[in-house]
Amino acid sequence: MSASMSRDNVVLRSLEQIGNCGLFLLRMLAAVPRSLRHLRETVRQLWFVGAMSLIIVMVCGLFVGMVLGLQLYDVLSIFGGTSATGTVVAIAIYRELGPVVTALLFAGRAGTSVTAEIGLMRATDQIAAMEMMAVDPIAYVAVPRFIAGIIAMPLLCCVFCAMGIFGGHLVGVTWLGIDNGTFWSNMTATVEVVKDVINGVLWKSIVFGTVVSLIAVFQGYTTPPTSEGVAYATTRTVVASSIAILALDFVLTAFLM
Amino acid sequence: MAFGPVFRYFAPFPRLTYAMTDPVSAKPDDNALVRVRGLTTVLNGKKVFDALDMDIPRGKITAIMGPSGTGKTTLLKHITGQMRGNAGEVWVDGNNVPALSREKLFELRERIGYLFQNSALLTDYDVFENVAFPLRQHTDLPEVLIRNIVLTKLQAVGLRGAASLMPSELSGGMARRVALARAIVFDPMLILYDEPFVGLDPIALNQVLKLIRTLNQTLGITSVLVAHELEAIKQVADHIYLIANGKVVAQGDPRTIADDGSPWTRQFFGGEADGPVPFQYPAGDYAASLGFPGSGA
Amino acid sequence: MSQRPSYAVGTGLFIVLGFAALGYLATQTTSVANRSSGPSYTVEAHFANIGQLKERAPVKVAGVRIGQVQSIVLDPGKETADVKLAIDQRYSQIPDDSVATIFTSGLLGDQYVGIQYGTSKNAVAAGGTLALTRPAQQLEEMLGKFFGAGGAADNLAGSYRVKARFTNVGALSVGAPVKMAGVAIGSVQSVKADPVKLDAEVTLAIDKKYNQIPDDSAGAVFTSGLIGTQYVAIQPGGSPDMLKDGDELVLTQSAMQIEDLIGKFLVSGSSSSSSTGNKDAGDKAGDKH
Repeated sequence: MSASMSRDNVVLRSLEQIGNCGLFLLRMLAAVPRSLRHLRETVRQLWFVGAMSLIIVMVCGLFVGMVLGLQLYDVLSIFGGTSATGTVVAIAIYRELGPVVTALLFAGRAGTSVTAEIGLMRATDQIAAMEMMAVDPIAYVAVPRFIAGIIAMPLLCCVFCAMGIFGGHLVGVTWLGIDNGTFWSNMTATVEVVKDVINGVLWKSIVFGTVVSLIAVFQGYTTPPTSEGVAYATTRTVVASSIAILALDFVLTAFLM
Repeated sequence: MAFGPVFRYFAPFPRLTYAMTDPVSAKPDDNALVRVRGLTTVLNGKKVFDALDMDIPRGKITAIMGPSGTGKTTLLKHITGQMRGNAGEVWVDGNNVPALSREKLFELRERIGYLFQNSALLTDYDVFENVAFPLRQHTDLPEVLIRNIVLTKLQAVGLRGAASLMPSELSGGMARRVALARAIVFDPMLILYDEPFVGLDPIALNQVLKLIRTLNQTLGITSVLVAHELEAIKQVADHIYLIANGKVVAQGDPRTIADDGSPWTRQFFGGEADGPVPFQYPAGDYAASLGFPGSGA
Repeated sequence: MSQRPSYAVGTGLFIVLGFAALGYLATQTTSVANRSSGPSYTVEAHFANIGQLKERAPVKVAGVRIGQVQSIVLDPGKETADVKLAIDQRYSQIPDDSVATIFTSGLLGDQYVGIQYGTSKNAVAAGGTLALTRPAQQLEEMLGKFFGAGGAADNLAGSYRVKARFTNVGALSVGAPVKMAGVAIGSVQSVKADPVKLDAEVTLAIDKKYNQIPDDSAGAVFTSGLIGTQYVAIQPGGSPDMLKDGDELVLTQSAMQIEDLIGKFLVSGSSSSSSTGNKDAGDKAGDKH
């Protein structure tokens, strides 16, 4: 990172970062064919990035669904419409909360660990060692983590949504006594596969997964190889990912609606 | 040393044959494996190398010494192509490294072992997998064969028993020996040691020293050492380069190099605090920076 | 290296779990779940106005889903919509005098076709037509119902007054609408407590247009779904004699408590106001008369 020219100009510096990030993405895309031989590494990263995030995503999904159920029951009972609780829980989770909250959790859980890991690999010369062993570190370190993130995000998001629905059902039906059949029938009458599940859950989470993984890998790969640099890079991963997720969420919603 | 069987294992695999030195590709007129000609490198506005010339003879142990910050590690990075100079040529076994394509460079690197200062073991994998890593990346050898090769190399560095340990469980000396096992797993033609003795206790230092000598003598691997430990280097090196200010300021046999009478060798090998390498980092007028009146500031 | 298989297995489990969740979301919580896999039989119904009814909207009987709207097309040459209902084979015994109505489910304005069974012994054949339909009500009309449509009604053609007695009027206030079949036909003119009979005497001003209301019609205090304001609903009876100015409704049903209402909404949305009432109104009103 050549921070020399624009150390004090935030706008120029962010532009430079975005530009570098884009170039890095191109480098990774160019390395994708080479990384096909590291498929095993991709699977391993899928384990770290995806499976290891499962618990936190499931727990958070459950609680988000439960609190939605509680709040919606409270609000809808004013209008005598508590039967719509299931519908609103499902739509809110599918369209917004599922992808966005999962992506934020993903950035916090998997993104930071990817950034820190790659940053430390740089700091301890592991990246250089791979270069020396004639192993392309972009293809071996960056791309598998990037791809694993893109694959893991939609899967995690689906699990999050399922847990959210379960949580909403738990509160709405089991505790507050909404009729079970009404809960499901209203939900199934309103929620649509294309509009809610594919556009909401899948597309958004794939885009978010791509962006968060790109930011995490890029920050880790380009950070100065010092403990300070790794700490800053980890913070930047969370900040940049969160901003990107929420901004992109608006854009995607506008496009997919 | 049990290197003999390894060659036998490698023999049936044609892609590995170039790991042996090919006499045809070498320049006929000299015996240098690495030839640096007119290398000039500017980093952050500072001239690290200024038309540097250097020959590293085949099959010998060459030590590169010099004051801190003279770019000894940078020179190694030029040899491996991790860095490129602003001008000049770096010939390694008949290839001009700065001009190589990425594929050719990677092919060349498979024949070069590099021992990092901090070992640079992959923290995700245990010792066995670290040593097996280059094999897994570049060959499709059956698991049995990989296992045999790795265990042979680990035996050579005396750490076969530590195969299942994680890098975090190793001492500094052990980590460096594992890194050495990894560096020689392809039986390279050239090994570059970057500060191999730093932070080692006398026992570990002598173990590494012994390994460097053995590898050179039994396999004929050309070795380049970047180090400060003069006593240790005197025991193994065939030739010493002393570089300072981006140039070779002295070279020669380890027993005689200190006697050439130049101020550089006198300061470096005599360990004097001041000399051609000044004690004071270049600075402005002392009185002026303290703000004394009348200093003309 | 011994860890490799466990990574692979764990990752595999993770992927399977993710896809299972996706499959669950896509098939169990969406309208896909409503596509009845079993054989269905199709019935047609013609509506003057379908409002916001969409294809795949549910078809319900007594609040229970029995099928969905298969297609909506404009009847060629007519100003009516031809709606095909795909009904599950299990529920194929729909009496041919059943009424198909487009309802708005209570809260969110999603519309569905509700079928109220008739009494005929003959079932509609597959491909047959339900002759009796009630069109969707427009949003403006619905809002009018909730927000004092009564006031507008009495100024048009003058009104006549009818009294009704309730043991409990709930939050019924002067000016609240009086509705029949969900349409405002007048407004509440006064609400007074009767000092002798110890109940509430409510005077309703009904638009003179609606002078064909049987005199055995029932009056009930209902809460409209959306905002919780209360209104008086008139449920027509079967007497040949019509209500006249100064008459009293003999059958009344008092306001229900909010808890009962929630119970009702859980079952079938706002449509409940028109279907029940008549039968159970009698027991309360009978002794008062």
